[in-house]
Amino acid sequence: MTHEPSNTAVEASAATLLRDNAEVAEALGRRYEAGFVTDIETTSLPPGLDEDIIRQLSAIKQEPEWMTEWRLQAYRHWLTMPSPDWAKLNLAPIDYQAISYYAAPKAGPKSLDEVDPKLLETYDKLGVPLHERAKLAGVAVDAVFDSVSVGTTFRKELAAAGVIFCSMSEAIREHGDLVQQYLGSVVPTGDNYFAALNSAVFSDGSFVFVPKGVRCPMELSTYFRINAMNTGQFERTLIVCEDDAYVSYLEGCTAPMRDENQLHAAVVELVALERAQIKYSTVQNWYPGDENGVGGIYNFVTKRGDCRGADSKISWTQVETGSAITWKYPSCVLRGDRSVGEFYSVALTHHRQQADTGTKMIHIGKHTKSKIVSKGISAGRSSNAYRGLVKVEKGAEGARNYTQCDSLLIGKRCGAHTFPYMEVKNPSAIVEHEATTSKISDDQLFYCRSRGISEEDAVSMIVDGFCKQVFRELPMEFAVEAKKLLEVSLEGAVG
Amino acid sequence: MSEPARTPFVASLPEAEALARLPGSGVAWLDAARRENLDAFAAAGLPDTRVEAWKYTALRALAQRRFAHRDAQAATRAVDAAALALPGVDGPRLVFVNGAFRADLSSLAALPASLSLRPLSQALGEDAEGLRFALSHRYREAGDAFARLNAALAGDGVVLRVAAGKAIARPVHLLFAGAPAEGDLAWHLRTIVELEEGAELALVEHHVSLGAQKQLATVVSDVVLRDGARLDYAIVQDAAEDATLIRRSQLRLGARAQAAMHVQELGGALVRHDLRAELAGDEARLATHGVFALHGRQHVDTQLAVRHAALNTASESIWRGVADQRSRGVFRGAIVVAEGADGSDASLSSKNLLLSALAEIDTKPELEIYADEVKAAHGATVGQLDERALFYLRSRGIPHAEARAMLTAAFCRAVLQAMPNEALREHVSQLLLAHLPAE
Repeated sequence: MTHEPSNTAVEASAATLLRDNAEVAEALGRRYEAGFVTDIETTSLPPGLDEDIIRQLSAIKQEPEWMTEWRLQAYRHWLTMPSPDWAKLNLAPIDYQAISYYAAPKAGPKSLDEVDPKLLETYDKLGVPLHERAKLAGVAVDAVFDSVSVGTTFRKELAAAGVIFCSMSEAIREHGDLVQQYLGSVVPTGDNYFAALNSAVFSDGSFVFVPKGVRCPMELSTYFRINAMNTGQFERTLIVCEDDAYVSYLEGCTAPMRDENQLHAAVVELVALERAQIKYSTVQNWYPGDENGVGGIYNFVTKRGDCRGADSKISWTQVETGSAITWKYPSCVLRGDRSVGEFYSVALTHHRQQADTGTKMIHIGKHTKSKIVSKGISAGRSSNAYRGLVKVEKGAEGARNYTQCDSLLIGKRCGAHTFPYMEVKNPSAIVEHEATTSKISDDQLFYCRSRGISEEDAVSMIVDGFCKQVFRELPMEFAVEAKKLLEVSLEGAVG
Repeated sequence: MSEPARTPFVASLPEAEALARLPGSGVAWLDAARRENLDAFAAAGLPDTRVEAWKYTALRALAQRRFAHRDAQAATRAVDAAALALPGVDGPRLVFVNGAFRADLSSLAALPASLSLRPLSQALGEDAEGLRFALSHRYREAGDAFARLNAALAGDGVVLRVAAGKAIARPVHLLFAGAPAEGDLAWHLRTIVELEEGAELALVEHHVSLGAQKQLATVVSDVVLRDGARLDYAIVQDAAEDATLIRRSQLRLGARAQAAMHVQELGGALVRHDLRAELAGDEARLATHGVFALHGRQHVDTQLAVRHAALNTASESIWRGVADQRSRGVFRGAIVVAEGADGSDASLSSKNLLLSALAEIDTKPELEIYADEVKAAHGATVGQLDERALFYLRSRGIPHAEARAMLTAAFCRAVLQAMPNEALREHVSQLLLAHLPAE
């Protein structure tokens, strides 16, 4: 196994970053290091869910009337929906009344300087480049702690460029018309069970608006963390790129170790107008539960991008190492002519983790293109499934798709599955799918061992090579983090 | 689940008393199995597209039709024997017309001693107990509707057994013919094939039309290969244009057993084939090759599921599809490698040509892997003819339409190469050509 130069370059430049931000390495050092609990006072709503709770939630967040109504409508619709059970998931029923739908740090932060130092410490431990460190990394961060957004860095620089990057609550208050125009336009409130729940109770999230012709001057980032017990996190992200605009957005997630399962049901909506480009990268490291499958996050997320304008492009890149159960399909609706959708994914499962993830590419416009590269790694007693849909509608003249799904098995008791759906209604379309499943071969291992590389290092090198196609798509600092995460997550998988 | 409304299809089912007229009636376990399967079918009705196995095949129109499940004149329908012949297939022959066994058209004389070949109706009279395992099955899955219906109503079919270590020299020809009848007719046949240890057989399952008819036919086949047995199994499906044909073939391969399947889906308006194979013994090998060539409003749905359940098993599946005009081709190819099935080597390829703006192809290759010493790969494509190949042919002076026809034929023929019976292969090639879009 050799590293390509590009990868070494990533590592070298990352080393500088890591020195300044040694916490990243430290936090990722051993086991689930993000599993600490921060002891700060939180205000939360009592557990339970009904119309009153939603009204209270809306009131706390000082939302306008239309927003409250929107939530209530979603809630009423949710009540009529059955909980989905079609996935190959082993899942205990969720008690939606036992969850607290709002938990906020008590001292409401006014600005970044007032943010609870303990909270900042939490982010320090996680290595989030908040505050000055943000400058180092050149990343503007919107950090979401349990349910509220605690501070957004780099406001001024972004405002000068005309980019709006703020928490969703703030956006609802200050850019109500924009939010009202786009919220729910990609993922309607009744889209699916968890999207409906999210629409009713979402507490915060990020809002990004990049106006016409603007290339967002820096990469935007959100860091999510579930801290309090018995809370769910329901964030809502909306990114709108007007004509010719560009933004690259990063999202990272962690949660403390707890014995109960916690629910994370987010909705992400992306809108790309004419010639706009959105690049969305996720490193998901929610607490996966212990070796025996106790605890961990249920990560049920709806992510969808709408290439509304001609020549627009949406690219999803995800590295999924955490969560007890992951169930998500970041999708692209390729409406605009010549629009492009991409999906790059690495999903690693270990112990008793279950992941059912993939993408949907819906080709509607003419000459639309999509590319899917999915790498699944299963170890321990985990189960890892790729489930995807490529649909070419009648009018999608000249549509083109290429899909590649590879699975790597480590151990005898894990499962790796591939369920690709291809539905083609246009004769000029070309749709291709390839998939392979294999294990790390003894030859590869032997070769590395004979060069003096320990078995564990050899496995991590091989896995790294297996994932390289996806890591290449990640912004540099994320690529480093992702690589580290894989190493940590695979610990003890071999031997 | 909500109670489905009684559709005309269910309302027109025979009463329970009618089961008493079926061969084998009076055998307690068989009566119970028939009755329970009929009740289960009537209770659930036909599956809708929310049932995953029927996602791409809607049965709404079928559910609105009423069928008579018995053709009283089946035994006397005039049949042109020439329509039944297949080149290269001159061995023992069993013929069914509208679901009834026709001794007059069959050739069962001078069977080799190692081959036992009987119609099911006769076998039930002679040795019902020997069929108990196959015929007392209760089908419980949501998508099993037609298997239930078949289990309840099939009064005839084929019972074939090859003795251990014997090779049958000439291919056995199973003929399922549909002849024009008054009203909407449904018929059901059950096939039970067993190859004992080391036995060898070439089998041809042939669906043929004796004239325009809108019948519904269901055929359920169980094929068991004991250790070291070898089967070459061709299915030539050339049913009537308006026919609905629902088949389910279940193969089980013992240690070192080898099966090769060649499937051609040519006729029928609504055709569904569930082909399930289990590699149950170590070193079992399976090859499936199939092709569908569709036009008009044909709807053909193939659901292939190969399960590797033993050590060092291998399967190879190569499927091609062509959909023209307003037709719809559906293919699902699932490979499952069970826990502990180390050394499995599985591959599947599904390539499809979409020739018309109103046609549709839905394909879904699946892998479900629970073991790690495994090589598994699948590939699927939907597209058109290679522009460069077309250009090449045209630059050699071949007109566009002819070049297209040549390439389309070559695309399909790729899967026929594996047929060992040369005369049959040639015949099937010609049949296939006739079903492809004309120049």
